[in-house]
Amino acid sequence: MTTRRTLLGGGLALGAGLALPATLAMPRLARGASPRVVVVGGGFGGGTAAKYVKQLLPAAEVTLVERDRQFVTCPFSNLVIGGLVKMEQITHGYDGIAKRGVKVVHDEAVGVDAGARKVTLKGGTVLEYERLVLSPGIDLNHEGLPGYSEAAAEIMPHAWKAGPQTLLLRKQLEAMNDGGTVIIVAPANPFRCPPGPYERAGMIAWYLKKNKPKSKILIFDPKETFSKQALFFESYEALYPGMIQWIGGKQGGKVEKVDPKAMTIEAGFGEEKGDVINVIPPQRAGRIAQVAGVTDEKGWCPIKPESMESTKVPGIHVVGDACIAGAMPKSGTAANSQARNAAAAIVAALEGKPAPEPSFANTCYSVVAEGYGFSVTGVYGATAEGIKEIAGGVSKLKAPAKDRDLEAAYAFDWYRGVMHDALG
Amino acid sequence: MRTQLLTLAAIGLAVAGPAVAAPSVETIARDCVVCHGPKEAGQVEIPTLANYPAKKMVEMLSGFKADQKPATIMNRITKAFSDEQIAALADLLGKK
Repeated sequence: MTTRRTLLGGGLALGAGLALPATLAMPRLARGASPRVVVVGGGFGGGTAAKYVKQLLPAAEVTLVERDRQFVTCPFSNLVIGGLVKMEQITHGYDGIAKRGVKVVHDEAVGVDAGARKVTLKGGTVLEYERLVLSPGIDLNHEGLPGYSEAAAEIMPHAWKAGPQTLLLRKQLEAMNDGGTVIIVAPANPFRCPPGPYERAGMIAWYLKKNKPKSKILIFDPKETFSKQALFFESYEALYPGMIQWIGGKQGGKVEKVDPKAMTIEAGFGEEKGDVINVIPPQRAGRIAQVAGVTDEKGWCPIKPESMESTKVPGIHVVGDACIAGAMPKSGTAANSQARNAAAAIVAALEGKPAPEPSFANTCYSVVAEGYGFSVTGVYGATAEGIKEIAGGVSKLKAPAKDRDLEAAYAFDWYRGVMHDALG
Repeated sequence: MRTQLLTLAAIGLAVAGPAVAAPSVETIARDCVVCHGPKEAGQVEIPTLANYPAKKMVEMLSGFKADQKPATIMNRITKAFSDEQIAALADLLGKK
């Protein structure tokens, strides 16, 4: 056991440059000064990282930089669109984490000097750090889809960042006539929340079935397969027969162009008109990751799985949707789990110790109707080839109704739990 | 040199079964308490672990792992862990 760990640790450390933080941080610790950790982004990843660094190393001075005063979660925002939960229920403040001793600064990080280990904020503040955590989530690449733009998103909402866009999509559905067509344009991989577009179709159908039962939903998708596909299809068939149609890559589902004025999309087989069009555009790591130089040519951030430290810039750890986490999906739970492991690695580095062996987990519930949920879960470990799944999988097909009901209830409990762990 | 070390590590791992080195039980447990939160998390259906007898926890987790106890999700999760890890998790999280 010891031999195995030592060998693996040695193999990884050669490429990891873990000696660097110790030499930088130890003198500060040795002369009694607090090590400084700056976390950018107050979502599942950033909130968790800040909280756990402070918890594991109370002497650390932890600053969380977050643009917004409130965190509106993407998880459960589909349930707001469907009308199952209210916006207030997915809106959270930062008091809990502030009470734990994390300094919360509401500003926007605009610059990173990785050499001098400094972050510059829009308001002019400069924060020095021994370790920086970037958890910036995603940037929407509006221009990645011809015809789409930030202005177009006011007509064809993406609702892929929860907040006003979520409510806009909800309002459009409320204003739509019975018998209308809702189009969902799903993105290619990789993107935030792989089951999200399909849960959204279910939640929209849940609203339409009760209020506008003659309406239909078309999902245009460039992919051949997607997360929990069989479970989604089974649920659509059981709950909303004939209402939801999925047009995959082979059937010409790739949308080439959108026209917000004409309210049309152009896909493989031609043009399609929609009454409500939800365009989920291509994505990349949040802007500050690009500014900091931790993104690759595709716009995502490669990391070392044992510490979540960037392979490109030492001293910067990237967690959550922005990072390339191997087998882990871009989800809130994944970000939360990565952040806890990053926090442990950061604290170890600040104390001049090697990073502990990480263990990652993900759980994503999808709720497609009241009392109807299912899940995907995984437990992951760090290997020399990246983050690999050890065990996991999706809910059983043809499960009894009580299981779907239980999983819907568990989804709500999962939400309470992960919110508590991240910001509570 | 690096290749050699990694190869040796890979051999060690292959012999040991799962393709990763063992994380500490404390590290694993941090993932458990996300869904099985403390009382303050305000969960309704998912059991809190603090008052859960450790012995019963081993029984439940082993049963889920062997597909001998009904489960929606724990059957999938428990297959990631050895019997020793399950015992250690119960010892850490459960009530003695």
